[in-house]
Amino acid sequence: MITAGIDVGAKTIKAVIVKDNKIVARSMNPTGFEPVVTAEKTLEEAVKQAGISRNDIKKIFSTGAGRKSIPFADHNVTEVTADAKGMNYLLPSVRTIVDIGAEEARGISSDASGRVLDFSKNDKCAAGAGAFVESMSRALELTVPLMIEISHKSTKEAPINATCAVFAESEVVSLIHTKIDKADIAHAVHDAIASRVSSMVRRIPIEKDVALIGGVANNTAIVEAMKKHLGVEIKVPEKPDYVSALGAALLAAA
Amino acid sequence: MGAIEKFQEVLATRHQYAQDWKKKHNGKAIGWLCTYSPVEIMYAAGMLPVRILGSHEVQDVTDRYLFPTVCPFSRDALAQGLKGRYNYLDVLTMARTCSHVQGTFDNWKNYVPISLTYYIWMPQHVASRRAKPLLVQEYKGFVQALEKFTGKKITDTDLDKAIELYNTNRKLMKQVYEFRKKEEPPITGAECMEMVVASQLMDIAEHNKLLEQLLKELPNRKLNRNVGVRLMMVGSEMDDIVFVKMMETLNCTVVIDEHCTGSRYFWDEVKPDKDHLAAIAARYVDRWQCPAVAAEFKPRADRILKHAKDWNIQGVLLYQQKFCDPHEFDIPTLLKMFKDNNIATLVLEFDVTIPFGQFRTRIEAFLEILELELV
Amino acid sequence: MTTVTKYKTAPLKCWQKGKELRLEAYRDLATGHEQGKLLVLGCAATPYGMLAGLGDFVFLAGEPYGASVAADPPVSIPAMETYEAKGYARDMCGYMRNFLGTMFLDKYYFTGGPFPKFDFAWSVRHCPAGHPKWHQIVSDYQGIPMNYIDDETMLGIDGDQQARIDYVAGQYLDSIEWMEKITKRKYDDEKGIEAMRNYFYNEALWGEINLLNGAIPAPLDIKSMFALMPISMLRRHEKVATEFLTELRDELKDRIANKIAAVPNERYRMCMLTPPPWSFLKVFRYLENYGVVFAGTYVYLINSGEVKFLYDKGTVIPATAPEKRPGWPIMKNREDLCRTVARWRAEHPFQSNLETRKKEYVIMFKHWKANAYLLLINRGCVPMTTSMYDFQRDLNRQGIPTSMFEGNFADCRDIDETGVLDRLETFLEGQGIQKIQDL
Repeated sequence: MITAGIDVGAKTIKAVIVKDNKIVARSMNPTGFEPVVTAEKTLEEAVKQAGISRNDIKKIFSTGAGRKSIPFADHNVTEVTADAKGMNYLLPSVRTIVDIGAEEARGISSDASGRVLDFSKNDKCAAGAGAFVESMSRALELTVPLMIEISHKSTKEAPINATCAVFAESEVVSLIHTKIDKADIAHAVHDAIASRVSSMVRRIPIEKDVALIGGVANNTAIVEAMKKHLGVEIKVPEKPDYVSALGAALLAAA
Repeated sequence: MGAIEKFQEVLATRHQYAQDWKKKHNGKAIGWLCTYSPVEIMYAAGMLPVRILGSHEVQDVTDRYLFPTVCPFSRDALAQGLKGRYNYLDVLTMARTCSHVQGTFDNWKNYVPISLTYYIWMPQHVASRRAKPLLVQEYKGFVQALEKFTGKKITDTDLDKAIELYNTNRKLMKQVYEFRKKEEPPITGAECMEMVVASQLMDIAEHNKLLEQLLKELPNRKLNRNVGVRLMMVGSEMDDIVFVKMMETLNCTVVIDEHCTGSRYFWDEVKPDKDHLAAIAARYVDRWQCPAVAAEFKPRADRILKHAKDWNIQGVLLYQQKFCDPHEFDIPTLLKMFKDNNIATLVLEFDVTIPFGQFRTRIEAFLEILELELV
Repeated sequence: MTTVTKYKTAPLKCWQKGKELRLEAYRDLATGHEQGKLLVLGCAATPYGMLAGLGDFVFLAGEPYGASVAADPPVSIPAMETYEAKGYARDMCGYMRNFLGTMFLDKYYFTGGPFPKFDFAWSVRHCPAGHPKWHQIVSDYQGIPMNYIDDETMLGIDGDQQARIDYVAGQYLDSIEWMEKITKRKYDDEKGIEAMRNYFYNEALWGEINLLNGAIPAPLDIKSMFALMPISMLRRHEKVATEFLTELRDELKDRIANKIAAVPNERYRMCMLTPPPWSFLKVFRYLENYGVVFAGTYVYLINSGEVKFLYDKGTVIPATAPEKRPGWPIMKNREDLCRTVARWRAEHPFQSNLETRKKEYVIMFKHWKANAYLLLINRGCVPMTTSMYDFQRDLNRQGIPTSMFEGNFADCRDIDETGVLDRLETFLEGQGIQKIQDL
């Protein structure tokens, strides 16, 4: 059986095609202003990659912030359910999932079958999500990859005090003017995100194995900072951005 | 070492100070959360009263226990407990005041190891003629609990001595505050805060000795700094001394305050009475009111205005601990009062940590306006 | 294939009467002075029946008034903006902000006419973060006297409970004297006692009504409960409230006997701890699409209601009026009245401390035969919110599923409606509950 999952995120749309319980294609595009068009395009790219035709897909499930807006989806599931299912497929030993997206972070507690036991989310604050990294990188006049790279070279603590992402940006500017090394500021930004996310995750039971997924999981500086704040080893699956879409595809096959 | 340097040392090594004191006196330490807690009784019990304060570091341990829109001081204080920094405390006490710090007490009781907790049911309606007799009953319960815990009776002599020491402390600190009326105060606002906060952490007899030393030093103390604009700081809990130091580098001096690590904490003395518990109760009922306890605004407002005039201030920094409901109620009325008395105000909102850059800009702008007016 | 039972359903027969009684109480405030009545402001926990000793009166509890305004965003938003423009903080109690905003606008919500001027404010200091300070603002603005009584929270922890209760009783007595002085009226002890007898009785009746929703299917839906609750909250001292609440109770018993459901496709039962988001009550209708019925909310069981918790048995039963309790005196004079009120309040679940409250939450969960708790974190309400994470953890530890969202009881600008629905949907998905149309 062939099924597809589409994760309609705030920043990117991902599609995963699963055939007989094997991943056969992955595709991603920036969401843009027309998510339905982008979703269609992303699915088509995945179909081509899989070497199948659109009609071969038995069911399509959507997930993500825009999951209800996809007319060609047969059903939609929440990101939390999709994350747990996807992660269970990739690493069945995982019991706690931290998903940091562009605008939302989630903590998910799941059982051995990938069923969600409990979850927590950041409330009305983007200071614990990917958008914060991007706005800070603009303040530091660095690309995100460069910001991550120099963050690992930090030698001193330079704490970000403002708890609001908007104020933190002007605080970074103040830090630059006080001649604090950009590497230390970059490190402080990652540390601040990890602190807020960890604080949110601690509302659910934290049980090993702990995994980090979502686009921000590609940020090795965040991974290091999360390890430090949660005090546990963190597993990052291959292609962490696609876990939600994978979970949706697997649920479509269930 | 000068007295102020000694206060600074105690603040920097507060936990070690308390542990050393315990060892030296073979005594116990009692942590308290709010300035309505009767330190005289704690001291009379032979214990070291230790005010629990935050550390102004970014923290992520309290969100499991206290909702984030609870006052930063309450969260920061609980964080210290959860991090084990106050493991040497034997007792935790609090007088009923506001719901925020209630959350700190409740969670500390459940989740931070402590041998004994004691809750004093402070009367809220302090204007009621029944408040003092009730508080005496509360103190009797507190005394019994401490006696049981220490295995030692608290005698009238113990209470008498404790009252005398704390009254002396209050008198001496008021004398230090008198020096701040001068055109060139020999002590900065930050240094005064260090003095007052140290009084909340130290053996009061030791603190009194340092105050006597300080009063000898002050007449000849020259600060070699511009006094600048004379400011008053008004607000709730404030122990962010680093902030005050930063502020005083900007051509201003905090010459007087009204907050709970300042004059509102220590101003009123215990009036002698052969019934010592009644005397202490009277002090806490009649003291400089905090809006977390008393609803009536006027008694507090009158005292603030008097302080402002007596210390000849030129502006007020009205700071507020974010989400502090009781003080938020008073702020609009205070602003109007200052405006009616031609006193300029700047309002700043504080959190566990603060954005120094932005605050600096606001204070500089405020001072620039005042400097232009004063020319 | 999942089958969904379809129960019989029917509208509440006494609904219209209830609606009228509630509105009458609010309208009475606008015309109270013309009728020669005293107008008094306080909080909902105040034993306002005592005011009957001074003659006819109308009591306004600020909270239900604030909630009514909050449920109407076109009125609520300008009111809150007016309040903020006066320099008051936005993170304070939403009820208060709506109340004060309409006061500053001089627009009484229920008539659109001028905001009533109270004769005085008299209240239990229900919330340590604010009620008397709220009344102080009104007192200053309207130039009216105010007085307050200590609330009796945090009893039972250390210290002499009787001394505390006596202190509160003394304050009630002092406040009668104070009221006589400021109103220049003589207090009639018997009238005060009689009104408080009704008050106690009606509170117990409202508590009993809430307990009836332990039946399956639940006979009363939560939106109707919220709409009818102000009758107890504002008119507890009146015989007309007794008549209505008796009629409501009897109708609910009848519905239970005949299995008439509030939600015909009831298949998942939830309960709450707190008030709802008043501007977003449609969330309950939305959840009915999943077959979710809300059996009740703890706060309105014990605020304007009274029940008796049997902690050893883990059960709950209706309360009895104080004078019928063993060892309680029959009230003969104002001293008896004040002592009874203070003692009654001290033993009331409303005053339960943190640890006792945790037990009560579990008892109610079982009594209401719920499947999960919905926990709302209300920005701005410190007493109800401070330890919510601790409550959640405690419930989860005992195997009780919880769904939590952050919002505001009374500020529609502070609720992310899409986010809340998303969160609830995620929770129900985890519980294996889908929308009925999708089955």
